[in-house]
Amino acid sequence: MSGTGHTVKSYEEEMQSLNDNLVMMGSLTENQMADAMAAVIKVDKESVDKIVKNDGKINELRSTIDNQITTVLVKRAPMAVDLRITISTMKISHDLERIGDLAKSVAKKVKPLPVDLPDELIGSLRRLGDLVQKQLKDALDAYLNRSKDKAIEIWKKDEQVDDLTNLAMNEVATYLQKDKKNLEMATHLLFVTKNIERAGDHITNIAESLYYLIEGEYLEGARPKGKPIES
Amino acid sequence: MELNNSKIKIQAKNLNVYYGKKQALFNINLDINQKEVTALIGPSGCGKSTFIRCINRMNDVIDICKVEGSVEIDGAEINEKNVDVVTLREKVGMVFQKPNPFPKSIYDNIAYGPIIHGAAENKDQMDNIVETSLKKAALWDEVKDRLNEPGTSLSGGQQQRLCIARALSVNPEVILMDEPCSALDPIATAKIEELIDDLKKSYTIVIVTHSMAQAVRVSQKTGFFHLGKIIEVDSTDKIFKNPANKMTQDYITGRFG
Repeated sequence: MSGTGHTVKSYEEEMQSLNDNLVMMGSLTENQMADAMAAVIKVDKESVDKIVKNDGKINELRSTIDNQITTVLVKRAPMAVDLRITISTMKISHDLERIGDLAKSVAKKVKPLPVDLPDELIGSLRRLGDLVQKQLKDALDAYLNRSKDKAIEIWKKDEQVDDLTNLAMNEVATYLQKDKKNLEMATHLLFVTKNIERAGDHITNIAESLYYLIEGEYLEGARPKGKPIES
Repeated sequence: MELNNSKIKIQAKNLNVYYGKKQALFNINLDINQKEVTALIGPSGCGKSTFIRCINRMNDVIDICKVEGSVEIDGAEINEKNVDVVTLREKVGMVFQKPNPFPKSIYDNIAYGPIIHGAAENKDQMDNIVETSLKKAALWDEVKDRLNEPGTSLSGGQQQRLCIARALSVNPEVILMDEPCSALDPIATAKIEELIDDLKKSYTIVIVTHSMAQAVRVSQKTGFFHLGKIIEVDSTDKIFKNPANKMTQDYITGRFG
């Protein structure tokens, strides 16, 4: 929020509530991502149903935020920073909802996995998961602190996400080459890896929306891209 | 929002205005582009109306009002003693907050200006001016069968368009509008806004408005006034999406006072 409050108190309250709901949504999404990653690494099949169920709460918050934004637009015709907050909140909430969906998809892949996943298979995947979780946490902190510099940092760091994704995929591919019987497991792990990478892309979107919110301008230039998979 | 390559029509330089001892405008510098709509926004009493009244020397009629500094139209100073204010006001028309048709017929409301300025040589020419002006103000179809009825018999929105037609009848170059829609319903407002969009192809328009949404809709450039000073002038797009000045932002987002 800007330093000075709105003259109309109910407007101020509406914007505050929008902010609170987005923060709540961010925190739920963060938990879901952490739970989904932990479930994969530990092959914890017990936790999957809970993760799938919890995704509903994130979706509900997204609908609530959508409705709140429609009301703010029609009631207040927000201008300047309020307009940018409203638009960015809408975009960020949609990205968070998608990250929630991806976490759910990741968790669902745990059920068909063998309980004794070899360590060599999940080394890079674990690091990728840690990095994406860190990116999400940083993005939410940057939103709370309205930090433009942090937004740029997150945006640039997606390159590392891409690189780790390629590494993780290569690891799975190498394992698959050893024995074709590993095909089913490898396929699941490739999907898990790809889903985490896509969550990373949504976090980059959040960084872009945040930058627009703060600066009123779009982040310039092409997104940083990781190295392509070497065959 | 194209601001480049625009020709400056009106230029205010170091403009100071006093009502007696009270200073109403402080060192205003503002360029108004030709064939564009410039919106002036700001809280009541900030000097917007005083400023536009400097553009056709309407402040001359207030005894205690003193204007210092310069206002140029097409590079010519309008505050020079030898400038004929009647000719100036022919060039710079004005539309006010409340529609103020003369207590005359619709026809005579439009014909009044051209008669004073000797613009028509005969009845046919005058008929032509009346019809053209009413058409430009998008009112002709609604009044062509009742031109002899009093102007005051029209609805508020129609009266305002009549006043715009009256301003257009003397072929102005600039039209000043001081909150032209504040007394109108949304449909009448939409008609005026549509008209403004059309008129800007031929005229330079300066509009004072308290409706932020209207400023966004109709103007290409916006100036924010506060306590007699210009705080920020920029493209309308920039002012309402990402103003540079915190005071501008606080005003347009409703965080003022």
